[in-house]
Amino acid sequence: MKDISQMIKLVAIEKKDVLLSILFGFLAGMAAVGLFASSGYLISRAALVPPLYALTVLIAFLKLFGFARALGRYAERYYSHRATFTMLSNIRVAFFEKLEPYAPRVFQKYRSGDLLARIVGDVESLQNFFLRVYYPPVVLVVIFLSTIVFTSVFSTSIAIVLLLGLTLTGVFVPFLFSLRQRTIENRVRESRGELSIDVTEFLYGFRDLKIYQQLEDKEERLHESSSSYIREQEREGMQRIFSHSVNTLVSLLISWVVLGLGAYLVARGDLNGLFLAMLVMISLTVFENATPMAVLPSHLEDSKRASRRLFSIGDEMIEDNGRLHLAGGESYGFELSGVDFRFPEEERQTLQQVNLKIPAGSKTALVGPSGSGKSTLLQLLLKIHTPNQGEILLNEHPMAQIDEESVWSKSNVVLQENHFFFGTVRENLQLAKDDLTDEQMLDALRDVELGSFQLDYPVFEKGENLSGGEKQRLAMARALLKGEQLWILDEPTSSIDALTERKIYERLFNQAEKDTLILVSHRLTGLELMDQIIVMDEGTIVEKGTYNELMHKQGYFYEMKQIEKTIFG
Amino acid sequence: MKHLSKLAFGQRKVILALFIISLIIGGTIIGQAYFFVAIVDRIFLEQQSFQEIVPLLAGLLLVLAGRAGFTWLHGRTGVKMAARAKSHFRQAIIKKFSRNPIQASLKGQSGRKVSVLMDSVDEIDGYFSNYVPQMIQTAVIPLMILIVVFTQHIYSGLIMLITAPFIPFFMAIVGVMTKKKSEEQMEKLSAFSGKFLDTLQGLTTLKLFGRAQKQKDEIEKSSLGFRDATMGVLKVAFISSLMLEFISMLSIGLIALEIAIRLVVYESIPFFSAFFILVLAPEFYLTLKDFGSAFHTGRGSSGAANQLAEELSETESYVEWGEEKLSAGSNPPFLELENVHFSYGKEEGLFALENIQATIPAYSQTAIVGRSGSGKSTLLHVVAGLIQPSEGQVKVNGEVLSFYQEHEWFKEVSYISQHPYLFSGTIAENIAIGGRGDHTMNDIKAAAQRAGIAELIESLERGYETPVGEAGRGLSGGEKQRLAIARAFLKRPSVILFDEPTTGLDLKTERILQESMKELSKTSTVITVAHRLHTIKNADQILFLDQGNLAALGPHEVLMERHPEYKEMVRLQQGGTPA
Ligand SMILES: Nc1ncnc2c1ncn2[C@@H]1O[C@H](COP(=O)(O)OP(=O)(O)OP(=O)(O)O)[C@@H](O)[C@H]1O
Ligand SMILES: Nc1ncnc2c1ncn2[C@@H]1O[C@H](COP(=O)(O)OP(=O)(O)OP(=O)(O)O)[C@@H](O)[C@H]1O
Ligand SMILES: [Mg+2]
Ligand SMILES: [Mg+2]
Repeated sequence: MKDISQMIKLVAIEKKDVLLSILFGFLAGMAAVGLFASSGYLISRAALVPPLYALTVLIAFLKLFGFARALGRYAERYYSHRATFTMLSNIRVAFFEKLEPYAPRVFQKYRSGDLLARIVGDVESLQNFFLRVYYPPVVLVVIFLSTIVFTSVFSTSIAIVLLLGLTLTGVFVPFLFSLRQRTIENRVRESRGELSIDVTEFLYGFRDLKIYQQLEDKEERLHESSSSYIREQEREGMQRIFSHSVNTLVSLLISWVVLGLGAYLVARGDLNGLFLAMLVMISLTVFENATPMAVLPSHLEDSKRASRRLFSIGDEMIEDNGRLHLAGGESYGFELSGVDFRFPEEERQTLQQVNLKIPAGSKTALVGPSGSGKSTLLQLLLKIHTPNQGEILLNEHPMAQIDEESVWSKSNVVLQENHFFFGTVRENLQLAKDDLTDEQMLDALRDVELGSFQLDYPVFEKGENLSGGEKQRLAMARALLKGEQLWILDEPTSSIDALTERKIYERLFNQAEKDTLILVSHRLTGLELMDQIIVMDEGTIVEKGTYNELMHKQGYFYEMKQIEKTIFG
Repeated sequence: MKHLSKLAFGQRKVILALFIISLIIGGTIIGQAYFFVAIVDRIFLEQQSFQEIVPLLAGLLLVLAGRAGFTWLHGRTGVKMAARAKSHFRQAIIKKFSRNPIQASLKGQSGRKVSVLMDSVDEIDGYFSNYVPQMIQTAVIPLMILIVVFTQHIYSGLIMLITAPFIPFFMAIVGVMTKKKSEEQMEKLSAFSGKFLDTLQGLTTLKLFGRAQKQKDEIEKSSLGFRDATMGVLKVAFISSLMLEFISMLSIGLIALEIAIRLVVYESIPFFSAFFILVLAPEFYLTLKDFGSAFHTGRGSSGAANQLAEELSETESYVEWGEEKLSAGSNPPFLELENVHFSYGKEEGLFALENIQATIPAYSQTAIVGRSGSGKSTLLHVVAGLIQPSEGQVKVNGEVLSFYQEHEWFKEVSYISQHPYLFSGTIAENIAIGGRGDHTMNDIKAAAQRAGIAELIESLERGYETPVGEAGRGLSGGEKQRLAIARAFLKRPSVILFDEPTTGLDLKTERILQESMKELSKTSTVITVAHRLHTIKNADQILFLDQGNLAALGPHEVLMERHPEYKEMVRLQQGGTPA
């Protein structure tokens, strides 16, 4: 029930609109009953040739009810939908908020297409929760009770029939359908998610699918997911139509009973014939409100599934408890002692017993074979992950006490893979900092040898229209623009030719002269300038020292250097 | 709405069935009113006994059951029709997406495309499950009621006849507005999807730049934008049903007044007829009103249909392919680049490859070298047949590439791109995607071995069954690369196109890779975008690219001698200092 209680909480925020919806729903429903009752009464009355004024009064009532119903209906719809769609919008934002702290690990658990399906499809489907599950029963009960009280003035037995009818259509039939609902599993939400997943991956992996000639297979698979989604929708549609029809039939039967009973009572003289038409009209109208109850269980079930899919996310999040904010305007030093790190769900330690000192203002290079844990170590320094053991100090403060966002805001980061957003070069650069002028951005582009780029140049999703090296340079430009005093660079120039790389590094070292800089490098050339070189292998630090020290030592680094020579020169 | 209506009314049998069902429903509506009125009339005015009306009650029961039953049948037919239509549209869109050339596939936001395929197609539903069935009912039932009313009392019939057209007239006005608004709504939804998915992919980047909050605001804005667009559509719908309600109410009032006056003042109409008309009149207007809201839904659907049609009508320049088989002789193919030109957009002044001329013999190794952004990957795309030269041609075994079947060509090629995509699935599946489909698990293991990734895989708890990609285990940059390289080793192709990774390959695995490449090149023609001197030196010839032009062509030693620029580049690559 947890999923639904979340929803109810959200509904409560739109209290005012909810109450208004109920109020106007009630008004409209009552006006409708009044309208048909008075028209039934009017005609019977007219048959007895009453004085004209009596008729005029009745007709005036008729008009009044008519207007009240139309306006009430309008207001009910307006308020209920406004509340609903505001709620949906809130849910979307709340969902994103829950998701956000997950980065960068979100894709180890979820798939993009799935999340998209949730925030769009599942949220949309929740509109039925409010519009069909939440308030209509309230309106229904109030209308029915008023009607039954009114009816009992004329005939107790007919009032009892109506009451029976209410329990039948409002409770019993929906209950039967909810039992049925449980036995047939409804998979609309899930199958929608699957289709969305498949399509998203199809689009993202399109080039590789094409290259490997797998498009046809995947297309086939998309057709299948689409068919099964449509099949589920169709099945759901059929079920709803069936439930709806059954409830319509039941309510028509009740009106039939009302008519039969009324006729019997009139024939026996227990009821004035004048009211017969009115009572039947009332019964026909009042049950119009009850028929949608039949589809309530189906919508409820659907809403439950949707909200479970939405609210289950983020349950296992660990909150960041860091309160300390970095002041800025200083350079940063790190000290790691006995740091162990293991990715969740991984049996092996990715980092083991890392002891390391990175003095403020120093330049550190991180080298080592692929998979040795270089990127992971950087992520620990950025508080993207937290160590399982040992301690990281940042400027003497334990990392655990520092607010993660504060760490990020003080560092210029280039990741091994950088994301670029659909838009323009300008928009992608503006991420770096507020209030950047065009000149600053153009300067930064020139610094990374992208002087030929214009700021309005379009950038495709994931930077697909840029070459490998251009992407890295754009990422570097972003970091340069941010201009903080901690540089964390993960192979920032791996796809860049040596000439361009050299020019970029020159400018980088210029700007970062007094800053702390940590650089993962796949190439071992040009490391002579670094204050220290850390050599990693299999998650541990195997060597550290300056270039000369390490070369002199003729250890691991020296060996790597020798191999490199055979490959690069 | 044209396309939709063609699709709907093309299904003659279904439409006919809907007509017949509507006729029956019309009959039950009239029957219900008749029995109902007759019973009241006899009991109330003629004061008959209960026994006398029992047959009428039985008749009424039958009619009520019929009404519910046939309404159910009608609804079912609509739902089925909608399912077929959605399937039709979605298949068309999927086909379009999968036929897209690479260039077109990169444009636009993926989230938007997903939204078109999911939401826009779903939006079509209403047209078929609601609008069409309701339209047919509206064509039949009011007419039947009108005829019955005319037989009872001409003036009421006339009032109905005069007032009824107001409803469609009003609807037409509203309809125009709805369509535009709902197109806007669909657009907002796609925009939201596009934004969300892109944001999701870049969430880490956003956080590191402290933009998560701002992005949240934008998501919120986009979400509210969608809400407002939705409310915009709904407001029109509500106003229009309010108006329809007023029209029908006034009309019913008019009818009631007229009847009452005749009944009371002139006594010129029997109670039965009067009551009968009064019961039928709301049913008459109800059908029209229902059509009003169905019409609204229909307009919404056609807004979505337009979006779909737009997506479908975009014509792309497809890469041409022919019908010939690529004769798989004992030798791998030889390639010729004749005067190859290609541009990403001449008018916009975008990057262009110009006049590339080269011959690549069978078994040879060719290295493409050049600075970042000089067009190396682009050239590899052209050779792979992923993009079509705008001028000149790529020839394979002396025939232009477009002479062969697409399938035949790609069967021979392995292309290891600069940024391979890891699919969500197991490691084994991710390697297998590169194969021809006839491999065994041992082949996969051997491929992983050659790519230097086997050791890592075997150290994992679930080995080759470890899930990677989205919702799977993360891999380091270099590990991802090697996984992709294993795909090529699985295939044993006769043409290898290799955008050499510079990223994170450690020097130990580098050796393994070199061995494997050497082995592969014994049976194939290899073109590599090369960064490693080792690869460059081993190549039979070098294509040296400079800003899309072929600046030099020849073996490494020759270029070193004759091309100072080339020499400088190589020197720097080795760690020399700039001259
Ligand atoms: N999300 C993850 N979950 C589990 N294991 C991971 C994850 N990410 C990386 N690993 C593993 O952790 C180890 C270290 O990865 P890391 O990315 O730090 O390597 P790296 O030194 O940066 O390598 P490269 O040079 O290839 O980028 C690798 O064996 C990798 O497979
Ligand atoms: N889809 C595209 N649309 C427009 N321009 C593109 C597209 N793809 C690439 N370009 C541009 O074409 C030029 C050449 O790109 P290409 O990827 O061929 O370079 P490259 O030589 O492989 O560079 P790198 O070594 O950096 O990968 C670049 O300037 C790039 O911006
Ligand atoms: Mg790494
Ligand atoms: Mg490239």
